Amino acid sequence: MAVTTSGHLPAQAEHGQSQLPWYIRDLYKYLLAFAGLTAIYIGLRLYQGAYGVLAGLDSTEPAFQTYWMRLFHVELIFLALVYPALWGYLWLSRDHNLDEIAAKEELTRYFTLTMWISIYTFAVYWAGSYFAEQDNSWHQVAIRDTPFTANHIIVFYFCFPMYILLGGSAWLYARTRLPLYAKQISLPLTLAVLGPFMILVSVGFNEWGHTFWFREEFFAVPLHYGFVAGVWFSLAVGGILLQAVNRMIELLDKIEDMP
Amino acid sequence: MFIHIKNYVANVFLALTCLLAAGPNNAYAHGEKALEPFIRMRTIQWYDVHLTQDKLKINEEVTITGKFHVAEDWPRSVPKPDMAYLNVAVPGPVFIRTERYLSGQPLMSSVALKLGGDYDFKIVLKARIPGRYHIHPFFNLHDAGAVMGPGQWVDVTGDPAAFTNSVKTISGETVDMESFGFANGVSWHVFWIVLGTAWLLWWVRRPLFIPRFKMLKSGHGDALITPLDKTIAKAILVAVPLFVFGAYAMTESQYPNAIPLQAALDQIEPLPPAVNAGKVNIKVIRTEYRVPVRAMNMVAQIHNYSDQPIRIGEFASANLRFINPSLGQSGKNEDDTLVAAKGLVIDDDSLIQPGETKTVSMAAADALWETEKLDGLFRDADSRMGGLLFLYDPSGRRYIASISTSVIPKFD
Amino acid sequence: MATTNLFDFPPQPYTGEKARLTRAFDYLILVLALFLFIGAFHLHMALTVGDWDFWLDWKDRQWWPLVTPLMAITFPAAVQSVMWTHFRLPLGATLCVSCLLIGMWITRIFAYHYWNYFPINVVLPATLMPSALVLDMILMLSNSLTVTSILGGMSFALLFYPSNWPIFAMFHTSVEYGNAQLTIADVFGFQYIRTGMPEYLRLIERGTLRTYGQYATPLSAFCSALLCTLMYPLWWHLGKWFATIRYVKTI
Repeated sequence: MAVTTSGHLPAQAEHGQSQLPWYIRDLYKYLLAFAGLTAIYIGLRLYQGAYGVLAGLDSTEPAFQTYWMRLFHVELIFLALVYPALWGYLWLSRDHNLDEIAAKEELTRYFTLTMWISIYTFAVYWAGSYFAEQDNSWHQVAIRDTPFTANHIIVFYFCFPMYILLGGSAWLYARTRLPLYAKQISLPLTLAVLGPFMILVSVGFNEWGHTFWFREEFFAVPLHYGFVAGVWFSLAVGGILLQAVNRMIELLDKIEDMP
Repeated sequence: MFIHIKNYVANVFLALTCLLAAGPNNAYAHGEKALEPFIRMRTIQWYDVHLTQDKLKINEEVTITGKFHVAEDWPRSVPKPDMAYLNVAVPGPVFIRTERYLSGQPLMSSVALKLGGDYDFKIVLKARIPGRYHIHPFFNLHDAGAVMGPGQWVDVTGDPAAFTNSVKTISGETVDMESFGFANGVSWHVFWIVLGTAWLLWWVRRPLFIPRFKMLKSGHGDALITPLDKTIAKAILVAVPLFVFGAYAMTESQYPNAIPLQAALDQIEPLPPAVNAGKVNIKVIRTEYRVPVRAMNMVAQIHNYSDQPIRIGEFASANLRFINPSLGQSGKNEDDTLVAAKGLVIDDDSLIQPGETKTVSMAAADALWETEKLDGLFRDADSRMGGLLFLYDPSGRRYIASISTSVIPKFD
Repeated sequence: MATTNLFDFPPQPYTGEKARLTRAFDYLILVLALFLFIGAFHLHMALTVGDWDFWLDWKDRQWWPLVTPLMAITFPAAVQSVMWTHFRLPLGATLCVSCLLIGMWITRIFAYHYWNYFPINVVLPATLMPSALVLDMILMLSNSLTVTSILGGMSFALLFYPSNWPIFAMFHTSVEYGNAQLTIADVFGFQYIRTGMPEYLRLIERGTLRTYGQYATPLSAFCSALLCTLMYPLWWHLGKWFATIRYVKTI
């Protein structure tokens, strides 16, 4: 669905049937995205349960190639397709008439932006919390003999690119559909997306360190601080909230009070 | 109807548990080939590793025994073994380790090993989770990695729920390690989480971000915190620390003899020399690795200081065993995939007489060099290799030498 | 603007549809914040405090009570700086710590226990909830960065060990094992095999000369208290800096 701005707001008429208030017209898509991501992440965890100990303990075994490197390649293909598709869609369907956007439409888009960021933080949860700490647990079971362990294949090479994809999508959504974000670049939104992106880059430092000077798994070591510094930037979400709240108050003042 | 639903829920829960837990435990090997060849060959040199049984039921024990020599030619890139931990490579706590001995002494902590030292070890494992596992002893070497000993398959059967593990405290109380402290820990967490959640809900129930921001900006910030909020906050501010220190004091009186975590390093001396014990002296003059035929060709000068004639029976390196087939004494585990039963060929296999010095050419040849990823040696920053040479006298008595040498690759 | 009933909200700037709209926005932000702080704060804690929190046999008297509050006061301070300054919501610390606990418990159960066979009692997390509650209360009642840095920072650190001792004291009961005196926590470390966590990696109290006799923990707690009073304002300002509302022309 291409997003364009018109003088009057189609939202109420179009979405009257769905009984959703106009400002949360994308609620179902949002919930669907949650459901889809949950299914993917739980699916990956179930896959680990099924094939981790069975075929994920030694990277030189043929079974490892079959069950794990194949999954790694599937992930790469999936990401190679989804990245251009999602970012391409967001860019190509951009709004060319942002100067004429109505207050209600802009408010709705702030809701949708918040949903995008929410989906982004949901992906941050799986990458930064569940699969990240699970990595420590898996290192107590498997001897590190490859950068592509049964958990790294999920956390580093799927979860990290996924949240970058969704964070980038949130950034692009704002850039292409919200006037303030289109006129200039939002510093907090950029920080909140770029900082965690650097966590993926830190994977290189991590693997270098674990190859040359540290084979054991000890989480609180300087070798891992690249990940830590990256995640601090997620605090910039506070700035995004403040930018949104400031603008939404202005927009609310422009629309009529309704019962 | 209710029972049906209950059964259904129970089945779903059981299925979920099975899925979330690790699947069928037919584990393959696990990362033995991870380290650079020179570390695997020239740090911990394992031999005589045996497991007492390969089929166990839950709660039954298997004992791993074995010996190792700490190589004299320790790689310079690996920190000296001042901090080492004798471990077992299994997929986590599918077994528990109930006992561990080094040179006959209990080994509870980490240990410093001496270069050139000879040790024997014993580890007792108790089966906890059913499955088929490849068990290795291994050493965690500080900042170097896991140097594996030989592995063996073990099958564990039975009901994991039947597993028991109890430990007796000094005061005589028996503790079930599988559940000890769990209920108490969960209760405390639940208590604090309920309190924290109540505080969050106290605020979340009211209009939040946009209205509060607007009110604060318009100078009505004082109205955002009500007198009741302040009263509750004061009550929490007083009650929480009082409660915390009260509970702390009660715990102190309940466990007056609690001790800190124990951090001493175990002090265990090597056994009397078993390797390079002075009866045989071996100097490797030149070693070539012939890439096309996967053969390590060594020219060695052997001096026999013993009072018996001796012959070379086996060369072992990084758990590969190359057996001289003309000797009957070694190569007992010929079904072991890491044994090349006819892998050691010697140009002059005649007896080396007491007092004699003889120069021999040996070829340790097998595809194992490649499949075990040891042939990458000459592409490493340290291309010296090492291993144990086993020699035997006619009575079957064994003489062991730890050798080390640089390796020159030959590509023809 | 006195309220008529104790449980009434103060008069609100919006009514009708606008009130519903802003409430819908609240819910979206809450869901967003929930996952953000589980993901971000948990990663920060796992990689700075991690091992002390993962394993029973890391919870010592010297480093655990020093490192944990010091690293844990970070996100609460940063989040409070936004939530209190701009919304007068005194819940930043409690929110962060609740999220952290949710993330940790899920992982301990589904990763360590279900996937990798560890009994959950070996990987019981520590709680920071009393510390967080007190930090929120002090900020709310004082409305002062200085007071919260000093009193809040100190309380946050000093409450940590006593709040957790009722959970972990029992694991410090002594056991004779392998001809040595060990704690039950040490026995867990010995028995439940961890291939990637050899004993020598533990950064724990090794024992040293003590001016105050055997009282090691209060020294660590007070050292942590001092450091937390410095860490709090540092992270308050870091949070404030990250929560910039600037738009820029180029990046």
